[in-house]
Amino acid sequence: MEGGFGPEIIFTIPGTDIPVTETVTNTWIIMAILILFSFLATRKFAHKPKGLQNFVELLVDGIYKFTAQTMGEDKVAFAPYIGTLMIYLIFANLAGLFAIRPPTADLNTTMGLALITFFMIHFFAIKRKGVGTYLKGFLDPFPALLVINIIGELATPISLSFRLFGNIVGGLIIMNLLYGGLAALSGSIGLPIPILQAAIPAPLHIYFDVFAGVLQSFIFAMLTMVFVSIAMD
Amino acid sequence: MENTNFVMIFLNWLMSFDRKALILAASAIGAGFAMIAGIGPGIGQGYAAGKGAEATSINPKTSKQAIMVMLIGAGIAETSGILALVVALILLFGNPLVGQSGSVLVIAASAIAAGISMIAGVGPGIGQGYAAGKGTESTGKRPKYQSTILRTMLLGQAVAQTTGIYALIVALVLMFSNPLLKLL
Repeated sequence: MEGGFGPEIIFTIPGTDIPVTETVTNTWIIMAILILFSFLATRKFAHKPKGLQNFVELLVDGIYKFTAQTMGEDKVAFAPYIGTLMIYLIFANLAGLFAIRPPTADLNTTMGLALITFFMIHFFAIKRKGVGTYLKGFLDPFPALLVINIIGELATPISLSFRLFGNIVGGLIIMNLLYGGLAALSGSIGLPIPILQAAIPAPLHIYFDVFAGVLQSFIFAMLTMVFVSIAMD
Repeated sequence: MENTNFVMIFLNWLMSFDRKALILAASAIGAGFAMIAGIGPGIGQGYAAGKGAEATSINPKTSKQAIMVMLIGAGIAETSGILALVVALILLFGNPLVGQSGSVLVIAASAIAAGISMIAGVGPGIGQGYAAGKGTESTGKRPKYQSTILRTMLLGQAVAQTTGIYALIVALVLMFSNPLLKLL
């Protein structure tokens, strides 16, 4: 976007003119944090868990239980992907709290994740049911619905990605406008530093970043699980 | 002799403005129209919230499960409002139509039409909210089947989203690769 709410270009890859935007660098930051955390958390596991290990076991156990409950016991092997997806999305959506641009405020990120879901749906449907049954599924409940079924399948990644992107980018723009407005307001009443920017945006951060961010991460992971498991059943 | 063809008078009056001003004005109208879609999610989420209150009153012990279904369902019912917001924000902050060449009338009309098409979001919003409400209600009655109810609800809501996606695609086509401009 040329209006100033798009991701900034940090640098271009030397020798080419491929831009590397904030989205990519912020994803690297989140990746580094998650890798560091996994490394530190799993370095020395004791037989009797204590401290951090308790938390990690609780988290992993919770994700496995949740996946088994939603997708069925036979598809618990998806838990590592679902867990990674959920943790990454929560970190990415909460990035706005730490004054870095959320990577999910870029359609490229959300569309990429939605395409992973899309290919998972069809790959595992074919793997589980065989190509013939899979293709026949498009003719259900009766053959005239073929086109509608195909469009319905294509709509899945679009609605998945735009739902997450729209929520996060909407929150980002509203927060930007609020900070700009508060700065202008404190300037107009003669304050040299934008003191009004303190504390006032906090409730909106709780709604847009914490509530919407966590809820949307959860919905994205939930829908991925539901679509994949329905395609396989 | 007085000219009584008001359409022509109006069009001539429009043409007396600067080209860019006309497109920007049309974008403003379009952004406003797009947000009418918010009616749908509003009604739908309200219905879901009402059903959540009902489920809690029927069975306060299992309100946690009902609230979870309500939040997920309402979060999905919001999608059409969010899609409308995306189109409105594109029109306001990243308008692709301003720099386009071609008939100013077609471009301005496309900006308004992109907004109007998003009004379709009223339907999915109400429908998905209704599904969320029913899901919440049945979870309140039979909390044991929460995951099955949730799956059915999510599948139905995803199908109900389809028309909203059509509207979004038409809006994006109008803004980014308008086929009408090539016909001129």
